[in-house]
Amino acid sequence: MTVGSKVKQTLSSLKGIKSTLEVYTLQTGDQETSGAYKESLHVINEVLDDLEKRVQTLEFEEPQYKGL
Amino acid sequence: MKDWIVILLRSGSLFFLTLALVRIIGKRNLSSLNPFNYVNYMVIAIITALISVNVIKNFILGLIALAVWVVLPIALDYLAIKSKWIHDLVNGKPTVLVKDGKVMEENLIQVRYTGEELLRELRSKSAFNLADVEFAVMETTGDINVLMKSDKKPVTPYDLGRKVSPRPESQTVILDGNILNEPLSNLGLNQDWLKVQLENIGVSPDNVFIGQVDGSGDLYVDLFDDSLEAPLPKVKQLIYANLEKCQADLTTFALETGDSQVKNMYINNANKIEQVKGKLEPFLLR
Repeated sequence: MTVGSKVKQTLSSLKGIKSTLEVYTLQTGDQETSGAYKESLHVINEVLDDLEKRVQTLEFEEPQYKGL
Repeated sequence: MKDWIVILLRSGSLFFLTLALVRIIGKRNLSSLNPFNYVNYMVIAIITALISVNVIKNFILGLIALAVWVVLPIALDYLAIKSKWIHDLVNGKPTVLVKDGKVMEENLIQVRYTGEELLRELRSKSAFNLADVEFAVMETTGDINVLMKSDKKPVTPYDLGRKVSPRPESQTVILDGNILNEPLSNLGLNQDWLKVQLENIGVSPDNVFIGQVDGSGDLYVDLFDDSLEAPLPKVKQLIYANLEKCQADLTTFALETGDSQVKNMYINNANKIEQVKGKLEPFLLR
């Protein structure tokens, strides 16, 4: 596996975590819990942004592995 | 009128009357009655029985007696809510039997308890060792409640300094294969959601004996067919494990890359995931 595809894998599993957490944020009735989930989602979004930028750079460097 | 008809009518009407009266008096637990409440219930029962079998010939007089024994306790209860003085007069005060780990002998005599009886009651609260008891009090109902010394109490998450997530009560959404709509809508969910969840774990609603949704929205089912293994909700543990994996991945990327700026970005993000893990741990794992 190339570095690019590894990073993409991590990116997608992080996206999976994000979406599951979003569901839990909606499902839970408790303020404190949903607050903690929201704060975590915020941080995860920052990490996702960084990783997406990195993927773009990698695709630019290795155009032959572009796409999925 | 023949005697048997009289008895039949009296008993029948009193049956329902007493049922209603006992409901009015309230749903206080029988075991937490104070002695006077107990006498009160006895008198009501005896009066009812006497009217019912025609020992008290005059039905109306019997009912008056019954009414007094029902209305007065209710009135007293209301007054006791309003006034502390009346409350203490009616219910009495709790008596402290053990204070600061020392038995109060005078109070023991006051409630006419022997040391033997005190020890028996303490044992029934699983305080086998008098040295472990910090405080014990006899409630107005005659029960004894015990506070153990703080180093003998069961450990709570608070003692361990661990944060745990609040766990709201679970709602039962399936009973005997029937989907209950009210608990579902209390949680802000609907039948479609439930059907999707059941499909995910691969069981049909008819096969579910009891289904409960916990406070975080996870479904737990008990099946009629015990040979089938219903999966426990493990989504939260899975999220946590995935977070750990992502963190490890990021650290690996940081080691693999040669570019120092990118390395810093990866390390920075790995730390962020670490923070998220710490924050979510009480909610996802406990």
